[in-house]
Amino acid sequence: MPLRPGSRAAAEGGDDVVPLRFGDDPLLWASWLYYEEGMTQGDIAELMGVSRPSVNAYLADARSRGIVSIEIAPDKFRTLTIAQALRDHFNLQDCLVIPTEGGERSLIGRLGDAGARVLSRFVRSGDTLAVTWGRTVLSMADQIDAPGLQDVRVVQATGGTTAKIPWTPEACASRLAKALNARAIPISAPAIVSSPEVRSLLMEEAVLAEQLGILAEADRIVMGISSLRPESTIHTSGFLDGAMQHAHYQDAVGSIVGRFISARGDPVIGPLHDRTIGLDLEQLRRIPQRIAVAGGMDKVAAILAALRGGYVSILVTDIATGRGILTAEGYRDTPRRSAAVSERPLRARTHVKKLINSPQDAVDETLQGALLAHEDLIAPVPGSSRAVRAIDGPRPGKVAIVVGGGAGHEPAFWGYVGPGLADAAVVGNIFASPPPDPIIAATRAVQGGAGVLYIYGNFSGDVMNFDMAAEAMAAEGTEVRSIITTDDIASAPREARSARRGVAGNVFTFKIAGAASARMLSLDSCEALARHANARTYTMGLALEPGSLPETRQPSFDLGPDDMEIGVGVHGEPGVERRGVGTADACADILLDRILEEMPSAEGDEVALLINSLGSTPTMELYIILRRVRKRLKAHGLRVHSSLVGPYYTSLDMAGVSLSVLHLDKELKELLDMPCRSAALTIG
Amino acid sequence: MTEFTSRQLVDLFRLVALRLAEARMDLGALDGAIGDADHGNSMAEGFAAVVRATASEADLPPGRLLGVAGRSFLSAVGATTGPLYASALMSAGRQLGDRAGFDAQDLANLVPAFADGIRERGKARPGDKTMMDVWSPAARAVADGARRGLSASGQLRQAEAAAIEGREATRAMVAAVGRAARLGARSLGHVDPGAASAAIIISALREWLDAQAPASDGGPG
Repeated sequence: MPLRPGSRAAAEGGDDVVPLRFGDDPLLWASWLYYEEGMTQGDIAELMGVSRPSVNAYLADARSRGIVSIEIAPDKFRTLTIAQALRDHFNLQDCLVIPTEGGERSLIGRLGDAGARVLSRFVRSGDTLAVTWGRTVLSMADQIDAPGLQDVRVVQATGGTTAKIPWTPEACASRLAKALNARAIPISAPAIVSSPEVRSLLMEEAVLAEQLGILAEADRIVMGISSLRPESTIHTSGFLDGAMQHAHYQDAVGSIVGRFISARGDPVIGPLHDRTIGLDLEQLRRIPQRIAVAGGMDKVAAILAALRGGYVSILVTDIATGRGILTAEGYRDTPRRSAAVSERPLRARTHVKKLINSPQDAVDETLQGALLAHEDLIAPVPGSSRAVRAIDGPRPGKVAIVVGGGAGHEPAFWGYVGPGLADAAVVGNIFASPPPDPIIAATRAVQGGAGVLYIYGNFSGDVMNFDMAAEAMAAEGTEVRSIITTDDIASAPREARSARRGVAGNVFTFKIAGAASARMLSLDSCEALARHANARTYTMGLALEPGSLPETRQPSFDLGPDDMEIGVGVHGEPGVERRGVGTADACADILLDRILEEMPSAEGDEVALLINSLGSTPTMELYIILRRVRKRLKAHGLRVHSSLVGPYYTSLDMAGVSLSVLHLDKELKELLDMPCRSAALTIG
Repeated sequence: MTEFTSRQLVDLFRLVALRLAEARMDLGALDGAIGDADHGNSMAEGFAAVVRATASEADLPPGRLLGVAGRSFLSAVGATTGPLYASALMSAGRQLGDRAGFDAQDLANLVPAFADGIRERGKARPGDKTMMDVWSPAARAVADGARRGLSASGQLRQAEAAAIEGREATRAMVAAVGRAARLGARSLGHVDPGAASAAIIISALREWLDAQAPASDGGPG
């Protein structure tokens, strides 16, 4: 498509008017002028010396040939698709979805803002507007801007609640009324009264009857949706004060206008029903426009219930919550066209190959092999096929250390039994806590009268079974303390450290506790030091390929051909984020960045490292990771006292790596350096 | 009402074990999505161990046999499900005491007894996305059915429906306890495997009872 030099350009003396940098491509030139320089099509036509329709055709052609691609920002695009899906799926009048993250403001603040914009679009002069209460509703009332309204009435949807909270029904209604230049109509009674009789009496009061009459005339309502999770507003506000303990409410998953609904959206009628003053659910459904403003993962079940029950006609929420609701309904994101990739599986394989005899014998046969290989260190505990003890114990006056957990983490846990480390180890089935019996047998076999320390990772099964064993030992007069390790920083936020999993960093806690007990320290001191070690151990892992159980010989989760799972659990629990596989250095950085972000350290502090293979990642790759971690730590001003590299705490045949950092102090360093000898760890 | 014997209780365990074994892979897949994929094995192996242990002690009265079942389940499984179902079976055993037999209503009452035992040990609350989201509504369905004068089979049918509904409701829940809790919002959309196996057990109880006296109970309804 050669370009004819235009009259004006030609008049200015150029032979070839297409500037050099556009090559011979008029489409590119036209696109540049239009999109980058912001010229009008008319001006472009004049400059290029062609007609305006030609410019228009160039621009259209440029789009279809991919010279120009118009992208809607991914976040914006998501909000649109999710809003549309919610609207269609629940037959809503409209739906607004806002980004979950972003800006300085909290989600509640941003939801309030979005709710305010929606309400200001719909509210009309002469309206009667009902309003509920809660943090999001108050935030909305504080942000609304709808000037010029006349004769609006804002009426409380329920009676009043405790004044201990700032977002009472009275506050929400009066603030919203003020912002809308409206008259506030209170409901002059408590939302929940002490008995049905009191309610009947109050309802006969003329003032209240008049107020409720206005409420019944509401044209629209703005409302929050409360979850009934323990942390929800409805609990913290003391709205219910014990009433929820009642069996009637066990089916309820959410609350709107102070009433309760089941997962299906049906009303849950309990003893509070006849003690509540305000809208009931039938009246709510008759209000022509019902705007719900709510978001947050804990509210997904409640919002879903409200949608299913048809109590909402306009929903304002955030992306994560909206997607959660849709996911719970079985909806899957449709991939964007531009992001479409080949759907062909990497290769078809029906079973993962394994060197086992039969799946049910795998754990026992592993232990038998370990006992033979390390007969200089460990021996079976009589009467149990799943417990091993150190051959050099029990020692009178020494605190006994018993460690354990599910099988599949070899060389954990028997690999850490020996002088200077644990006195006994107990394993369960693969990835399953041992039952109390072998734990009790092991405890009896190694306790030396100075008390026993159980050390195991924080998993609900381990906690229950070790607790049952500890109770049984206490009944026999043996004092047992439990250290529940929580080093996996990916598994819960910093504020919820006690909810985190215990993973490869256990190796450090075992070592510190073992050294403390070898020093013949008291149970109190051993316990305190083990807790101290756990508190200063940080682990972060990532998986490249899932592992597989001997029983199923199937990958225990799906991971795309180019993906890795960050924050993966040591049992193959899916992690917290999935992204494309990076280089070794990039992966090391991901792990270390998260750890450094959380670990409070000063320049010159010392750390010990564990670069751990999750099973099938070769040692070669671990050293590549180590190299990068050391380089980064040096740049960060931290000194590495010692490094462990290898398969110390595996997850069957999972491919991947975990990085554990023990933030040393003088005491921990001394204990870490004390000699120990075991199948998996020998120092000194 | 027909009295059942301890041998028939073993037979009931056999049916539960069979139904769980059939679901082993499916439960494992559910668990793989949000946990560690061991739930199918734990439940199937646990009830297989219950059948082995109770079959050899079937001369004990049913209440005591439930205690044997609980201990054998615990020893075979450990894990999270071990203590929970051990507690369930023992709680059911305590309710039957030393009686020589049990009837259809006792069988339906296993559901609330299991629910009590599991609640006591696990401390999970409704909405935590656990097996309690099946056991609690199922137990209430039995109580409600009894109040309305339904037969034991009718009560179990109602429990089965509540169980299935409870199982499906776990899709909309974010796990609050157990391993899946670490997943946060990513547990959304997935059925909780513990809830799924609980629904299988409740269905098996109903199935077994209906197979004992197909005519006497007025058929489906």
